[in-house]
Amino acid sequence: MSSSEERLAAPVRNGSFGWALLASELAVLFRRRRTIAMLLALALIPILIAVAVRLSSSEVSAGQGPPFLDRITQNGLFVGITALVVAIPLFLPLTIGVAAGDTIAGEAGLGTLRYLLVAPAGRVRLLLVKFAGAAAFCLAATLTVAITGAVIGAILFPIGPVTLLSGDTISVVDSIGRSVLIALYVTVSLLGLSAIGLFISTLTSVPVGAMAATIVVAVTSQILDVLPQLEWLHPWLFSHYWLGFADILRQPILWDSFSDNALLQGGYMVVFGALAYGRFATKDILS
Amino acid sequence: MTRVWVRWLPAVVVPAVIAVAVVAVPMQAGAAVDLPDKTAQEVLGLVSDSTVSSFSGTLEQTSNLGLPDLGSALSSMPSGSGDSETDAAASAATTALELLTGSHTARVFADGADNLRVQVIDSLNERNLIVNGDEVWFYDSETNEATHLAIPADVHADARAELEDATAKAQAEAGAMPTPAELADRLLSDLDASTEVTVGTDTAIAGRDAYELRLTPRTDETLVASASIFVDSETGMPLSVDVRAHGQEDPAFRVAFTKVSFTAPDAALFAFTPPAGATVTEQALPEHDGNADHEALTEKDLSDLAAGDLPVTVTGEGWAAVAELPAGTVSAELTSSPLFAQLTTSVTGGALFSTTLLNVLVTDDGRVLAGSVPVETLQAAAAE
Repeated sequence: MSSSEERLAAPVRNGSFGWALLASELAVLFRRRRTIAMLLALALIPILIAVAVRLSSSEVSAGQGPPFLDRITQNGLFVGITALVVAIPLFLPLTIGVAAGDTIAGEAGLGTLRYLLVAPAGRVRLLLVKFAGAAAFCLAATLTVAITGAVIGAILFPIGPVTLLSGDTISVVDSIGRSVLIALYVTVSLLGLSAIGLFISTLTSVPVGAMAATIVVAVTSQILDVLPQLEWLHPWLFSHYWLGFADILRQPILWDSFSDNALLQGGYMVVFGALAYGRFATKDILS
Repeated sequence: MTRVWVRWLPAVVVPAVIAVAVVAVPMQAGAAVDLPDKTAQEVLGLVSDSTVSSFSGTLEQTSNLGLPDLGSALSSMPSGSGDSETDAAASAATTALELLTGSHTARVFADGADNLRVQVIDSLNERNLIVNGDEVWFYDSETNEATHLAIPADVHADARAELEDATAKAQAEAGAMPTPAELADRLLSDLDASTEVTVGTDTAIAGRDAYELRLTPRTDETLVASASIFVDSETGMPLSVDVRAHGQEDPAFRVAFTKVSFTAPDAALFAFTPPAGATVTEQALPEHDGNADHEALTEKDLSDLAAGDLPVTVTGEGWAAVAELPAGTVSAELTSSPLFAQLTTSVTGGALFSTTLLNVLVTDDGRVLAGSVPVETLQAAAAE
């Protein structure tokens, strides 16, 4: 495998905190054909939405279809937001599941894990680097949807001042700032799932199993989140605040869900990070 | 094997620490507060002396009235079926029902008596009520519709009263919650010999120390066990109102600030221009344009109601009062709707809409009896 050779060649000195390892991990991740294919698939979501709305002759009335769909014809900048609403429940968790489930199990499945650990990188450092890689993928996936949406929206529809949920209007420049905030919010939202994927990935050497399990966890969490009988559980589900990014579209911005979400995702990261450490540090690496 | 044990330690310690934090933090926030003792009179004085007119805050409203959560049933109700009058009546009814079930969050910004903005926070949507001097705007992001109500500069006293009616109606339409101050005013004005007023436990509400003014009905004939008003110890502004029902641990109805600040909000919040693309409805004041549209008509109905034009008979006193509306008040469309059948149970003499705080009996001959009293009292009043 050229990827592992490359990483083994990367000098990992004590005290360098594994920046070189991280750089090579990111390079391998984003050069992988699978990663590029997933990002392209995500980019298709806003393109499909925009083209469908552009070609359709029937007027979309307010309240129909995904949220914000009716705003697209008036303002192309809403394409990215609509695409994010569409992508959050399934497509984003799907790709994150693949990226995070592959982290450790993928190396184990290819038989490259033991070589990675031969280098004095340490298992903790490898876990951190793998998690950072998964987090970088979250950011890349979210930005792909948001930026493609903004670009295709600008091409196919007029752009102008953006109407917020509160009815106030903000300038295009302000709206770009809010879009960046939304992308950050969605990225943070997905970190908890990444940590769960990392933990599951340490349990097995079959990457497909880890990916599928991570995606199942994401879907299960969302199903539990809509059952009214489990209302006490809802604030604890990592998917509970996934659509809370709408609070950034209020005037003034409502930061409550942003901070609640960050706290919750932080909790998931710490708990599943500790579990992944317990498992990975005590594991016999045979492959 | 000690090393294996040590490596699993974080996986045990971290959840434990989080669990402790989850339990400890709310307990600390709700810790007992010790304020200088005050009599009920003094706390009432604190409320009436309150001069707070500029504030911003977040309100949480929870209802626990023993009704099913109707959110999905209500949103799936067909709308726009053509008959605007039925639609409007149905939407008003569903908004009222929505307020009675589940919980809601709203942000309130107020600056003086003339500037007010209420934002009802829905998931991915928001409803706004903006009052800026003579301008009243209502905006719903879901339908992208704005309603405008302009008050002529030379408003005389009557028009001012009508405006308040209209505002109240717009608020009800918005599903906007009454602020604690409004609720407290209403409750305090109802105080008479029927109610025992005591000062309860000092509590922290929205991070501020508050006195609890507890009102307990002197009669057992009512469903209301007690009502509490939490009054900010510094400013005298009511921060929370709880209404408890008999045999229920959680408050049946609660409006409380979760965050409050007494600095004047940004003036730009009260300047509202409807967004481009929104459907704007101009709403005339009823006295100028009484019959022009349906909205104005309902407003007129409301003011008629306020003026006592509808023959409401009240029997019983204080908390145990029963209000009776004559036959024909409730339209046949409403009583024959599936939602009505779902919400009511059939009892001797009619259909009963029952909550932990209020019972409404629609008799077979079309009369409506309502009160915070047990069903038997309503049935007895209906039989008279």
